[in-house]
Amino acid sequence: MAAMLKCVMSGSQVKVFGKAVQALSRISDELWLDPSKKGLALRCVNSSRSAYGCVLFSPVFFQHYQWSDLVKMSENELDTTLNLKCKLGMKSILPIFRCLNSLERNIEKCKIFTRSDKCKVVIQFFYRHGIKRTHNICFQESQPLQVIFDKNVCTNTLMIQPRLLADAIVLFTSSQEEVTLAVTPLNFCLKSSNEESMDLSNAVYSEMFVGSDEFDFFQIGMDTEITFCFKELKGILTFSEATHAPISIYFDFPGKPLALSIDDMLVEANFILATLADEPSRASSPQSLCLSQKRKRSDLIKKKAGKNVTSQALECISRKAAPRRLYPKETLTNISALENCGSPAMKRVNGDVSEVSENSVSNTEEVPGSLCLRKGKSEASLNYRLKKSLIEKSLIYGISIENS
Amino acid sequence: MKFRAKITGKGCLELFIHVSCTVARLAKVCVLRVRPDSLCFSPAGFHGLREAGLWCEVRRGAFQQFRMEGVSEDLDEIHLELTAEHLSRAARSAAGACSLKLQLTHRRRPCLTVAVELASSLGRARSVVHELPVQVLPRGAWRACLPPSLRAADASIYLPRWRTLRSIVERMANVGDHVLVEANLRGRMTLSMETEVVSIKSYFKNLGNPPESAGAPPNGDLESMVQVRVDNRKLLQFLEGQQINPTVALCNIWDNSLLQLVLVQEDVSLQYFIPAL
Repeated sequence: MAAMLKCVMSGSQVKVFGKAVQALSRISDELWLDPSKKGLALRCVNSSRSAYGCVLFSPVFFQHYQWSDLVKMSENELDTTLNLKCKLGMKSILPIFRCLNSLERNIEKCKIFTRSDKCKVVIQFFYRHGIKRTHNICFQESQPLQVIFDKNVCTNTLMIQPRLLADAIVLFTSSQEEVTLAVTPLNFCLKSSNEESMDLSNAVYSEMFVGSDEFDFFQIGMDTEITFCFKELKGILTFSEATHAPISIYFDFPGKPLALSIDDMLVEANFILATLADEPSRASSPQSLCLSQKRKRSDLIKKKAGKNVTSQALECISRKAAPRRLYPKETLTNISALENCGSPAMKRVNGDVSEVSENSVSNTEEVPGSLCLRKGKSEASLNYRLKKSLIEKSLIYGISIENS
Repeated sequence: MKFRAKITGKGCLELFIHVSCTVARLAKVCVLRVRPDSLCFSPAGFHGLREAGLWCEVRRGAFQQFRMEGVSEDLDEIHLELTAEHLSRAARSAAGACSLKLQLTHRRRPCLTVAVELASSLGRARSVVHELPVQVLPRGAWRACLPPSLRAADASIYLPRWRTLRSIVERMANVGDHVLVEANLRGRMTLSMETEVVSIKSYFKNLGNPPESAGAPPNGDLESMVQVRVDNRKLLQFLEGQQINPTVALCNIWDNSLLQLVLVQEDVSLQYFIPAL
């Protein structure tokens, strides 16, 4: 018995699935397939860890959805579950989902199947007249990343039609990396990042003002200006073409990540982008999603540990994310903490894997600018740790998005 | 120095967008000359007619509002150098807009501010502002911005239907690099090209000649064809993407030296010079 995934889709479902893959390809070159009882999640994170994307297809989206974890008894008599740890290269999977319109028209059924003890994912397209196209893609074993981000505690929430975002994107040249979103309770403005137009003497500064009544939902808790990387916006726009649901934007103060999501009952897409922290002397690149270390190992041994960890993390975020003025003292201290834990944390992670799992970090090191990470799904045994370090040096934490 | 202009008519707006896009296609950096009665675009760093160049003039009548104050009383002009693509991008964001405003401003550096008022589908106003960095050219650099003044053309003829002309030149461009353009004062025009394996020739007749060109051709024979061989791609660049319906579309040929294409529509005129190869 092994962790496995098997799902079947129709032509029109394949189109949505393919759009999700295309959207995620704008963020990263690698994609995790992560099935669970909530559905099949496609996750990715970009190389600088400043953008994270996840598209969750609920079980009812598929014609048939079957998955299982591997339950294993370990030495200390605690059940551990090993989920499917499947990471695919975007170069392998993206070409399969090309020409989505013709796929939608011509295929009768698409089957995706994989098992953790085999090393490949099998994608089959069944056409009319008995024609079948099969793709075998080798995957890399890698624990999927998740991001904890509670959308409900954000002070600012907007819901817009994708058209509006598309109009805004056209304004900015592709050479511009960052845009600034400035909101007041009455209006919304998207403009070129000030930092950038100061550096390059030949850059155009553009801004677009949109009245609040163009939004489906407009709730601004406080005047805010946040700056983030603009390329990733295009990813979610690609996906919005497949569904007809509006895009929701959740954000707070500068430094705290911004979430863009689309939720149409069957599919839920979330893109979390890091934003520039509000400090004049900082370098002009968005904060990496801070990978602060987490949690005692013992917490994660239990299968149910996820709940404890999550509630702690939530608590932690809500404590720090209470609505406040733009330049609170706390934010500045948090930023310096962030500064400390920024690169060192990354180094710790990439360096010695075993050390990482030993450390535990108290809540005070949590910073609002970070996306809280928790070790996912359980790994308790020594075997697992060693195996991990052999397989991958990159970040292996599990993170989850909570929508309570 | 001051400059402020506003376009509110739909047709004029489309024309302006079209002009900016054409300029951007044919030149990377352009010079915008603000004169009391018009706005002129010319290629930057133009050194004589050794290379192709586009000059555009948008007369004051296209603008609902036009106010300018030049460098000084006797030099009542402003010369600005800017990246053409910036202007075309900003102008394109005004497609379907209610109004487009141009203004010379100074924020940290001199800028041409393009402010667009859009009415969204719900009828609500949306506004977009672009600040394009410009360089104000000193008087010493002004002379290079003027269009070339030339003797009368050897032959002047109205162009055939735009789409036909464009598709012929497009197909010829697939085969070779040069095209020979010939015309006479009897309304006949020929486009031809030759390679080792194939030769293509297109004949147009009854095109008509503009009355002003009733000057004497080189050898006094109205039937004789005046010719010039030009780079096909340059010609194609100009012909492509022209969606306007010009009231006047003609070309002037100087025998074996220069081809000039002229388009006029309402208050806008475009002149494209292509030197002979």
